Amino acid sequence: MLAGRSLLVGDRPNSADETEQRRTVRILVIEDDKDVASFIRNGLTQAGCNVDLADNGKDGLFLATTETYDALVVDRMLPGVDGLTLIRTLRASENSTPVLILSALGEVDDRVKGLKAGGDDYLVKPFAFSELLARLEALDRRSKSAGEAPATTLRVADLELDLLRREVQRSGQRIDLQPREFQLLEFLMRHAGQVVTRTMLLEGVWDYHFDPQTNVIDVHISRLRSKIDRGFDRALLHTVRGVGYRLDG
Amino acid sequence: MQLRTLIHTSVFRLTLAYMALFGASAIALFVFIYWSTLGFLERQTNAVIDAEIDGLSEQYERRGMIGLADIINERVMRDEEHRSVYLLADAIGRPVAGNVPYWPQNLTDTSEWVDFVRAGTQTPVRAKILRVGQGFRLLVGRDIRELTEIDQILRRASVYGLTLTMGLSLLAGIFMALGSQRRLAELNRTTRQIIAGDLRRRAPVRGSNDEHDELAANINAMLDQIETLLDGMRHVGDSVAHDLRSPLTRLRNRLETMASAERPRREDLLDCAKQVDHVLDTFNALLRIARVESGAHRSAFAAVDLSRIVADVCELYQAAADERSLTLTCECTAVVEVFGDRELLAQALTNLLDNAIKYTPAGGTVGVKLERTSDVAKLSVADSGPGVPEADRERVLHRFMRLDQSRSQPGNGLGLALVKAVAVQHHGKLTLGDNAPGLIVTLELPALTPPDAESTAPEK
Repeated sequence: MLAGRSLLVGDRPNSADETEQRRTVRILVIEDDKDVASFIRNGLTQAGCNVDLADNGKDGLFLATTETYDALVVDRMLPGVDGLTLIRTLRASENSTPVLILSALGEVDDRVKGLKAGGDDYLVKPFAFSELLARLEALDRRSKSAGEAPATTLRVADLELDLLRREVQRSGQRIDLQPREFQLLEFLMRHAGQVVTRTMLLEGVWDYHFDPQTNVIDVHISRLRSKIDRGFDRALLHTVRGVGYRLDG
Repeated sequence: MQLRTLIHTSVFRLTLAYMALFGASAIALFVFIYWSTLGFLERQTNAVIDAEIDGLSEQYERRGMIGLADIINERVMRDEEHRSVYLLADAIGRPVAGNVPYWPQNLTDTSEWVDFVRAGTQTPVRAKILRVGQGFRLLVGRDIRELTEIDQILRRASVYGLTLTMGLSLLAGIFMALGSQRRLAELNRTTRQIIAGDLRRRAPVRGSNDEHDELAANINAMLDQIETLLDGMRHVGDSVAHDLRSPLTRLRNRLETMASAERPRREDLLDCAKQVDHVLDTFNALLRIARVESGAHRSAFAAVDLSRIVADVCELYQAAADERSLTLTCECTAVVEVFGDRELLAQALTNLLDNAIKYTPAGGTVGVKLERTSDVAKLSVADSGPGVPEADRERVLHRFMRLDQSRSQPGNGLGLALVKAVAVQHHGKLTLGDNAPGLIVTLELPALTPPDAESTAPEK
């Protein structure tokens, strides 16, 4: 879990567009459980974020509408205004701040309800802080790039992925990928520089929302790694111990 | 007290109803007998009187008043039993001939049947009056003492018979109610003892094969089932305690060691988190099974392409199988749709593949096959591993049930329990078989009929 400390983009000195990333990320955590709230706040503060806390839906909604945040972390069950109502209210007032829902209810229908209400991602309690951080980062990135035109080519260092021709090249050398490997690489490249967890990969690439017991994802990653990194001096696909993977230039 | 409970039994109430019915039938029967016997005799008497009147009126026509009086006197003489009654009287009622000393009182001049009591013998008489000549009246009748006697006998017999019928049926009712009440009291006593906590108690079965026996047998079967379930619960409870104690003990030891060290090492901390994750995973798996078993998912059931799931999951596991030098084959020819939950079905197959890959030694094969036979989708996962002995096949579907030889492998013993729960929720059937060598797990689910079933039907 301590691994999460080095995760946030702001902490990395050789980030591509430093000035943009350096600004402090503001996050509002709406959570009534004091332990969970302070656990999240400590972790996020250590990761360099500016964190505001609200312990009920009413205060949370007030803060979310009056202040500007980069992301919200909302517990589903809240005293006062419950989480889903809060998100619906926000979305109705055209506030599009990315929202990560926290919930003790982990079944698929609960998740679907949460996302339908306007949540952007859903994390089931108990969770590892690294998972929360990775997901928040992905949300933040997604909202930042929302306005940009959809890219047809993704690039990380000398690795290039052509979405239209479904082709991958590294240093001009063509790499043959299976369709699923292509999807996996696409997901990693879209989240380049961020840590993605195994569950994020299973959700994002396979569209299933449970934890397989064995290391199925790891095996897929190591295959992909052997295709894109073998024979090159610099490894692009890194394992973040106990958390997941990061594709980084 | 005893009587009041008796009256409240349903059998006794039924008996009362039957008593009323029997009573009514008996009365109807007696009325019929009365009418067909006494009525017959009465009609016969009337016919005799009518015939005599006809005869006498004919004699009067032929021989006049004197002749009539002669014949009457002659008939009176000949009637030794004194059962005939004659009286010929003039206009002011003085007797001219016959065996009645004077015109009976209150006997009006009517052509209907008249009943009166004969003076002297004091016996009842049935008679008719005939007018003859100028103001003369002829009374012809018969002694009906026997009739009234039979009447009384019949009435008495009716009353006695009715009383006897009612009494007997009441007794039978009490007897039956007591018997039924005794059996039910036994059942009630047993159930009360069970409620009080003695779950081993069973209702007595007498072997009479009646409905009480059937009820007792059913109650016993139900109790057996409850006991099995309770044992299952107890087993789960024990297993939870046992399976969680080990990681928690390790965690505790590690934390204690770390607390005594100057600076805890990062690896140790991560390891502790891992131990906790293991405990949490076990809890989550248990909750998930419980949730699946509760049927909470059913509201979200929809038509799901099972072949798509099979392809997805096989593809997901292909790499893992390769890594372990296993050959994973996926045979899935037709598109098969089932009514269910995509995630649950995928997880069920994931668990089956997880097991197959985990227990099959390197170089072995794992085969996934999806077939469709008329209305059943048959999904099987076969491996060339050690298999499961026949005696344990039912057992391994239970929570935390792990065979001894698998204890060394990672896992929590909940995988197959979830598959079983998913199968039950989808109205499916989960069977473990011998793949000779290895294990073959078959999940049979009701398949949805494809919309173009009619057009593809001729293939059969």
